[in-house]
Amino acid sequence: MNGWTGNLLRINLSTESVKKESFTEEFAKTWIGGRGFALKILWDELKPGIDALGPENKLVVALGPIAGIPAPNTGKTVVAAKSPLTGGYGDGNLGTRVTVELRKAGYDGLIIEGQARSPVYLNIINDRVEILPAGEIWGKGTYETMNWLYKKYGKAAGILTIGQGGENKVLYAVIRSLEGRAGGRPGIGAVMGSKNLKAIVVKGSNDIPMADPPGMKKLGAEDLRKVGEIDKKTGWSVQGTTGVLSWCNEVAALPVRNMRKTSHQDAWKIDGERLNNARVATYGCPNCTMRCGIAIHDHEGRESELDYENVGMLGSNLEIFDLPQVASLNYLCDDYGLDTISAGAVLGFYADAIDRRAIEGNFKFGDAERAKELLRMTAYREGVGDFLAEGTMRMAQKIGQDTMDYAMQVKGLECSAYNCKFIPGMALAFATSPIGAHHKESWVIMFEITQTSRESYGPEKAQKVIELQRIRGGIFEFIVACRFPWIELGWDLQHYADYFNKITGMNWTLADLFKVSDRIYALMKFFWLREFPNWDRTRDYPPKAWFDPSNADKEGPIAGKILEWDKYEKLLDSFYDIRGWDKRGIPTKKTALGLGLDKEAAEVEKYAKLE
Amino acid sequence: MIKVKIKVIGPFIYEAGFSEKEFELEKPSTAGQLLSLVNIQENRPKIMTRNGKAISPNEELEDGDRIAICPIYSGG
Repeated sequence: MNGWTGNLLRINLSTESVKKESFTEEFAKTWIGGRGFALKILWDELKPGIDALGPENKLVVALGPIAGIPAPNTGKTVVAAKSPLTGGYGDGNLGTRVTVELRKAGYDGLIIEGQARSPVYLNIINDRVEILPAGEIWGKGTYETMNWLYKKYGKAAGILTIGQGGENKVLYAVIRSLEGRAGGRPGIGAVMGSKNLKAIVVKGSNDIPMADPPGMKKLGAEDLRKVGEIDKKTGWSVQGTTGVLSWCNEVAALPVRNMRKTSHQDAWKIDGERLNNARVATYGCPNCTMRCGIAIHDHEGRESELDYENVGMLGSNLEIFDLPQVASLNYLCDDYGLDTISAGAVLGFYADAIDRRAIEGNFKFGDAERAKELLRMTAYREGVGDFLAEGTMRMAQKIGQDTMDYAMQVKGLECSAYNCKFIPGMALAFATSPIGAHHKESWVIMFEITQTSRESYGPEKAQKVIELQRIRGGIFEFIVACRFPWIELGWDLQHYADYFNKITGMNWTLADLFKVSDRIYALMKFFWLREFPNWDRTRDYPPKAWFDPSNADKEGPIAGKILEWDKYEKLLDSFYDIRGWDKRGIPTKKTALGLGLDKEAAEVEKYAKLE
Repeated sequence: MIKVKIKVIGPFIYEAGFSEKEFELEKPSTAGQLLSLVNIQENRPKIMTRNGKAISPNEELEDGDRIAICPIYSGG
């Protein structure tokens, strides 16, 4: 098979067995890789109802046929498991040298099962796999851990690691790599920690099998150069993703004060211009020529790599408008291995609940020093940290009263840095994101505000959300590549189909790839349905605070405006109609069969009826 | 005469040479006319908002308006 190595590496930490397994061409062409591979493996191999932090869960690291090859932005890896935060399908995507090294080692993925008796790390060099004691690095942050491993295995080694957050099973602990890369928002780092697995080190020396190696090498190098040129011309990476902060502030979409507010007069202090002015280093993923990792010195003088989500959620959402302090909070999250988005949302919810006297506590918006202490306590589950480690949904469940209304999450995963109290399509995007609220799948804000009308709930918005889900949550997550050249620099999507075809020797169109996206989205929903057989459409609802008239802005471009339930219901119905899903938000039998999900439909019907 | 404020966002500030500036214009003036006073390449895709809402180039401006000029972001 060209494009795929054809192999997965299965490691059982309970029995210490290591198996190289091959997969079929049918598996490859049905699921392609990345999210597709991970989802199918977890669907087939996990029984519903298992403890996500127990030995029966599996951690899957999955790559795709274009991953790791020299071509625009192919240095990303998908990490997946049943999520301990949401109870459903969970995954993440991060830039790492593991992408390149694992493919060169001869694998398109890892399946990690069981639970080690004491902390271990994996060292994978081509066919040789060692399970080694991690006593010296267990308890250490991700920076110290990576340095220790780099000293031992060289700076070219691919490394995935967790911090104290993952070790202590904070429900939004992530997996970390490189200077500031992180992935696995819904607690995939906690799953790794629950297996007593501290790190995965990979080095490979084989060629990645492809149909036309010299042709692809030439095309890839040319295209990397072209993408770099577009970036230079447009200046995108000068401010990177944080450039959008000023726009969100302008159009009342910024997360401020646990998303109570939508803009702030001090937002300029943490904007893209300030970030670039403070830049001391630039980092990126393997095979990237538009590096988005802008590092500045934090309040303590450490290098901290920032992007928009970090600044939005740990900065404006907490009303901390001091960029070095925001960088400190970001550094701590990266070192402890905590998701910055959820950490920012948790701290915001905590400050809000205290402010509203729903609970007693010591934390006010704007208090960066206290926020640092709370992050430390969260990583160690110490004192109130044990409560904060549970995420906003469980915190609200515990407190009760009406606090669930302003726990800014969907399905248990906290919303990323876009305040959608009056952005219906983006609210739909958050609500229908298949892992819980995440903008990664679909981002429609500029389309809504500039190409249609902000107050519309029309089917064109549902159509746009799905169009983007097919690409962002579909193609880029299964082919595995970073979407930034396409998304931010206008690098034609057709290029990715061309890389796919050149590497695999196949002749697929974008429509063929979109079908795989739809198949994956349908099966992700089946995964959720099998875990929650009484599933209903309310699980695809945005946070209640965005519908509360008393929460509307008092002034500004959306003064007095808020989302409306009956209109949202119609928009959600449009979404389900276009996808061929029923009123619960579950794929119909007809839709499932049309996507080749006959076996999966039969399996899920043991638990809940399909229409 | 009307006074409007322009907010330039993202890497456009390096072309325009400023991030926030007040302009005095003859009345009537449109958003398109205002844009022509700012040094950002015509063929660069951009969006404009007026007081936080989308605006088209032929829309007339009012005294005190705040106009933002932004590249096309796609949410990272």
